[in-house]
Amino acid sequence: MRKNPKVNEVNEFLEIASDFEDPLEVIRESLSNAYDANASNVEIEIRSREMGSDIIIDDDGDGMNQRDLESFFDLGNSRKTDSIGYKGHGTKIFYKSDRIVVNTASDDANLRAEMDEPWKKLNQRELPQYEVTETPVRGGNSGTRIRIRNFRSGQGFDPESLTYKKIEHYLKWKTIAGSTAYLFDDEDREMNITVKLGDEIDDSRPKLETTTRFEFPDERLEPDHSSEFPAERMCKHYNPTEIEIEYEGGTTTLQIVGMVGGKAARNELPTYGKHSAQFGVWLAKDHIKVERVNEAISHDNEFLHFFFVVNCQDIELSANRESIRNKSSPVYQRLTEEAEYYLSKVAQDPWFKEYLETRRDAEIKRRARNRRSSLKDRRERIESGKALEPTNRTEVLLALERADGKSGASTITVEDFDPNADVHAIVRQGGKLRNAAVHRSLTDHFEDDLTFEEVDLIICWEYGDPTTLREYERMGYLGDEVEFQLENNGLVYGDDGQSFIEILCLNQESDKVTQQAVISD
Amino acid sequence: MSESVIPSIDFEVTSTAGDARAGSLSIRDTVIETPNLFPVLNFYGGGTINSNYGGGIHRTVKEFMIGHERINGGDYSKFFDGVMTSVSSLTDYNITRERYDDYVSQPIKERDVFSPFSGILFIDSGGFKFLSSDELDGSNFQIEIDQEKVYEIQQKMGADIIVNLDRPISPDDTHNQRIEKAQQTGKNIAKFLELSSDFRGARYLTLHGYNYSMMDEFLTEITRYTSAETLRSAFDGIALGSLVPKKDDRNALIDAVIDCRAVLEDWGFEELPLHVLGISSRAIPLLVALGVDTFDSSTYLQTAINGGYCTSLMETVDVSEADPEQCDCTVCSSEYLKEWMLGDAPYQKDMLGAVAMHNLIIQKRSIFEIRDRVRCGETEPLIEYIESTVAQDKPTREHAHRVVNHSLGGYF
Repeated sequence: MRKNPKVNEVNEFLEIASDFEDPLEVIRESLSNAYDANASNVEIEIRSREMGSDIIIDDDGDGMNQRDLESFFDLGNSRKTDSIGYKGHGTKIFYKSDRIVVNTASDDANLRAEMDEPWKKLNQRELPQYEVTETPVRGGNSGTRIRIRNFRSGQGFDPESLTYKKIEHYLKWKTIAGSTAYLFDDEDREMNITVKLGDEIDDSRPKLETTTRFEFPDERLEPDHSSEFPAERMCKHYNPTEIEIEYEGGTTTLQIVGMVGGKAARNELPTYGKHSAQFGVWLAKDHIKVERVNEAISHDNEFLHFFFVVNCQDIELSANRESIRNKSSPVYQRLTEEAEYYLSKVAQDPWFKEYLETRRDAEIKRRARNRRSSLKDRRERIESGKALEPTNRTEVLLALERADGKSGASTITVEDFDPNADVHAIVRQGGKLRNAAVHRSLTDHFEDDLTFEEVDLIICWEYGDPTTLREYERMGYLGDEVEFQLENNGLVYGDDGQSFIEILCLNQESDKVTQQAVISD
Repeated sequence: MSESVIPSIDFEVTSTAGDARAGSLSIRDTVIETPNLFPVLNFYGGGTINSNYGGGIHRTVKEFMIGHERINGGDYSKFFDGVMTSVSSLTDYNITRERYDDYVSQPIKERDVFSPFSGILFIDSGGFKFLSSDELDGSNFQIEIDQEKVYEIQQKMGADIIVNLDRPISPDDTHNQRIEKAQQTGKNIAKFLELSSDFRGARYLTLHGYNYSMMDEFLTEITRYTSAETLRSAFDGIALGSLVPKKDDRNALIDAVIDCRAVLEDWGFEELPLHVLGISSRAIPLLVALGVDTFDSSTYLQTAINGGYCTSLMETVDVSEADPEQCDCTVCSSEYLKEWMLGDAPYQKDMLGAVAMHNLIIQKRSIFEIRDRVRCGETEPLIEYIESTVAQDKPTREHAHRVVNHSLGGYF
C-alpha cells in the first residue's frame, strides 16, 4: 500500500510566520513584493497600537489577479520564479495580526481580500480563511494596498526602539532599498520608497524618503592634513566588477563593488550601531546583502575599513533571508575563494597602503601630543615641589639613588638589575654584595608569589596596605610563617623563625633603615 | 689599417610592459634574449677531460649541455644560452695543484670537450664564499684570493661577463661592518677597472643593500675610490647581490628590487642590464615584472638533489611520484632518460642529473613564456601569467598583487 506523507497545514503556517522574528522583516517583504510587481513608488505607514501595530503598504505596481492573490495567502506557492520572493514564504509574516485587508487593481481585476483573526485562529489550530470580492476593472490605476491591523510586532516596533534612523539603516543594509544592482545594470529600475511612522513612534521628522539604490560616499583619495584625523574622510571606490567563475557542476557570475574608507566616510552611510557589525564583505543575492564573509580579508587588514558587496544569484537563502543555506556547496566554496582573491588585490592597492600609513602616522602624532600634555603635567608636578612617586622597579631604584645621595651616610650602589629575575638587583652596600628584591610596595613581593630564596634585602617605596601584610602574617606565606618586624626594618620568614630579610622602605626614614641593614648583615 | 671599433657589449630593450622589460644582450658575437635565467653550473668538478672534468650531478648536466652520447645526444643548447659559474667553485672538489693548473690553463669555450657550448659565460667572483676565507683551498695548495687573482682566473676561464670581487653584506651586519665591506669592495672595484680595461666582455658592478639608503650609501662609499662618471662609463651591467639570505622573504626581496631600480635611476645606471645574483627561480615572474633582466639560480640542481621534480615553475613533486608521461620536455620524451629519472641509471648522479635537466627545461620554458608576454608590450599578458602562477599560491598571492599594483599598472 502506498501512502502519501501528510502536512499539518496550520502548524506549517504558524512555523513559517514565527520564523520571521524581526518585525522589520515586514518592511523588507513589502518592498520586495512591490519591486517584483514593478512598482515605481511604495509607501509604508506604521502606527503603534496597544496590542501591536497597524501597517499600511501602498504601491503602484502591477497589482494582483486571482492567482496572485492566492499566492499571497498560500504557503510555498509563489508564482514568481526569477524575482526576489520566489519561495512563497515572505507574506506569511502578515498572519501575525488581527486582520489583513488587500485591495489590488490589475489589468485583469479589481479585487479585495479580507482575512480576520489569522493569528488567533492559527493559535487555536484553525486555518484562517479569506474572502475575496471582485469589482469592475478601472483601467490605468493598478496597484496594491495592504492593511494589517494589530500586527504582533513584539518589542521591535516599540516606539522606544523603532526610529527613522533605525529604519533607514535597516532599509539600506537589509532590503532592496540597499541594492547595488544599478551599478551593474544601466537599465535597472529605481523605486521610490516612503516610510511614515506615527508620531507616537518617532516624531523627529514627517517621513523617510529613499530609493532602491545604495549610494556610496563621495570618493576622496587625498588625506586632509588640516585635520587631526587626516584619513578619516578618505574614501576610494572600487568599480563594479563582474567575474565569471567555474565550479564543480556549473558556472556563475560574481558582481563585486565596494569601497574602502575612513570612519567619517563610512558614517555618511546609513550606519546604526558599531561599524564592526556592519562593514566588511557582504555576500548578496538580488543585490540584497545577506551575510558577511570577513575572513575573505586577510588578518592584517582590519575589515571595518572595507565595504564590499559580492552578489551571486547562485547562493541559496534561508526562509527569512538572514543566512545562506548552501555553504557546503562547490559554488559557495568557489565564490568565497574568488572574493578572497579579489580582496587581496584591494589590500595590495598602493592607495590602501597609503591610507593605512596616513592613519598610522596621524595616530603616532596624536599619541605624541598626548604625551606632550602628560609631560606638561609631569613638569608642573616637579615645579610644584612634589617628589618622585615611583610606579615601577626602575623608578624605585632611581628613588634609592636620590635617597642615598641626600643622606651622605652608608650608600647603596646598584651593580646589576634584571627586573625579570626573582632577585631583581644586586647591590653593593658597605663593600658587600647583597641580593635585593625591588618593589613599589612590599605587598607586591607577596602578590607576585616570589620566594625569599637568595633574597637578603627587599627595597620598596612603601609597605603597601598594612591589612594585606597582616593577612599574610595570619595565613602564612608559601606554607611557612611570616612575621613583619617593620620597626626593625625587616621580616622573619620560615617555621624556624631564623630567616631575617631586611626591608629598605624608601618612603620612610631612609638613613636609619640603611644603617640598620648594615648592622644586621 | 685601423680595426673598426665594434662595441663588445650591447644591451637593447626592445619592449616594455609596465616596469618589465624585454630585450637582447650581445657580448662579442653571442646574443641572448632577456629576461633570462643563467643556470649555475660547475664546469670543473674534480675530474679530468675523460669525465668532462667531473662534478657528480654537474657532470651529467654538462653532458646535456654538450649533447654527449651518454645521454643519447640531442640539442639542449637553448637551455644553456647563458650559464653562471664561480671562481670560488674551482676547489669545491678538493683538487690538487696540478689539476687546478689544468683547469685554468685554457678558456672553457676553447676546450674541445665544451665546444658545443656557445652561450654567454658569466663568472662570478665568489665574493660570498671568500668572506669566510680569502683563499682557494685545494688538497695540497692554497691560493690567496684578491681582486687581481680573481680577475686573472675569470680571464683564464674565458668569461663573457665578470663582476668585481665584492664583500656581500648580511642582515646581521652593523652599519660599521657594512661601511667597511663597501670600502673593501670600493677598493676592489678601482683595482678591477684598472686591471680589466682591455677586457672584451661585459663588466658588471656589484651592488649591495636591502633598501634605497643602503644601496645609495654603498654607491657613495665606492665613489670614494672611483668616480661615478667612471663607474657609469666603465660598467656594462649591474649585479644586485646579498639577497640570498632574504630569498624566502618575498616582501624584502621586492622592496630591495624596487629600491634598486630607484637608486639606479638616480645614479644614472637605469639603462644597464640588471642581474639579480642567486635568487630562487620561483621569484622570477615577480622580479621580471619589477624590471630585472637576468637571474642565476641553482634551484634546478638543488631541487633534483632533494628528490624534487618540477611540474611547473611554482610546483614540485617528489621524483618517486613524478609522471614524465605528462611532460613533453626532451628529457621526459626519451624512454632512455625516463628510465634514468625513475631510478634505472648507471649512477645516482645520472638519475639526479636527468631530473635536474628536466627541472631546468621547465624553468627555462617559464622564462621564455614570461619573455614572450613582456614582448607583447602590454601589461595584461604578464598580469595573466602572474595571476595564473604566483597568485594561485596563497602565501605568495599578496606579493603577486602587490607587484601588479606597483609595476604593471595596477588593478584599480
